[in-house]
Amino acid sequence: MTTIRATLAAGLAPELRAGLDELLLSMADDEFVIGFSDSEWTGIAPILEEDVAMSSLAQDELGHAAALFALLAQVRDDGFDADAIAYDRQPNEYRHARLLDHGRGDWAMTIARRYLYDTADGVRLEAVAASTFTPLRELVDKIRREERYHVMHATTWLERLAAHEGEPRERLIAALEELGPHAATVFTPLDGEGVLVGAGVVAASMAELETRWRASIATAFVQLGLPMPAASDLQEGRTLHGEPFRWLWTEFTSVRRLEPVATW
Amino acid sequence: MTDQLPADRGSASEASSPLEPWEVFRQEKEGDPMRHGGAVMAPDAVLAVHYAREMYGRRQESVRLWVVRRADVHDLSDPDLLQPPLDRSFKKPGGYVMRDKLAAAREQSGQSKPKAKAGRRPAIAAAPVQPTTHENDR
Repeated sequence: MTTIRATLAAGLAPELRAGLDELLLSMADDEFVIGFSDSEWTGIAPILEEDVAMSSLAQDELGHAAALFALLAQVRDDGFDADAIAYDRQPNEYRHARLLDHGRGDWAMTIARRYLYDTADGVRLEAVAASTFTPLRELVDKIRREERYHVMHATTWLERLAAHEGEPRERLIAALEELGPHAATVFTPLDGEGVLVGAGVVAASMAELETRWRASIATAFVQLGLPMPAASDLQEGRTLHGEPFRWLWTEFTSVRRLEPVATW
Repeated sequence: MTDQLPADRGSASEASSPLEPWEVFRQEKEGDPMRHGGAVMAPDAVLAVHYAREMYGRRQESVRLWVVRRADVHDLSDPDLLQPPLDRSFKKPGGYVMRDKLAAAREQSGQSKPKAKAGRRPAIAAAPVQPTTHENDR
């Protein structure tokens, strides 16, 4: 593995490496945080089947995060592995989108967050599906096949909640109004995105991807009569984290912090 | 993947539907028969397929799933129709069950059941035992 790692990291120009670092970290942290958030339903979802489904989705996301963290570790080549990147940071060092920085909330909140994130993530994954950075392209090829189901699941539930007048629809709209202003933070511009787009690692700028994403969900939102996500303040889209994330961080690092050097 | 789901997505617009059982059949690999895997509870076909996928496919243990509303399965379990009390073993490919007849013949001739490894079997007066007959001796 040393040879491959050395080759991968050594073959990258410094600016490209910095851009890749930023991109991979944002993608991995998004998957990592939504995975842990959704795992909060394990054992208490509305019915057993949905419990299994949501837990399985959460596991998928953590699997994607693990693979992205592992690739990031190769790009960094600094001796720290995927676990170290995932667990050994302070809360303010995580770079997930602010959209994912809300507490688990009720079922409508979870579905709204999943739908907004999965559709946005889908647009982002499409933009790296033909990436010139081969390891990322190959990984994303696998991830996209699983994400298809995630979008199906989120869409199925969004349609159901939206179609049922009364409490389901009211809760969904309340959730969309709370999350909406943060939805586009998935497309917070990266410092190095100019380099990434220039090198063909990503197909377009984050601003362009946000436009594509809004177009991709507009039809569904109009059909279901749901409020489109408002424009997001992207100033601190991936750096400002609130109390719900601090709580989640305390949870997901609790075992690691007991004995950071333990071998599992 | 929406294209692979059942067409009746209109159910989403209906009033809240109660959960009902759906039977799941799974194929482990291409060419295998569909086997009953179990059941899931779901309000409609779309979610039933989702849950079948999670319960019977998420570990890549299936290449195809069939999901059928239990209410659409026509059940036949009447013992008069399936397990009639008279001997109907002659309808089986193996023919009559010979066990009882053989036992009666042995009793009549005062002989015990032949040992499995007996070299030459003694003839039974009423019903000579052919080696192949033992296939039906059940």
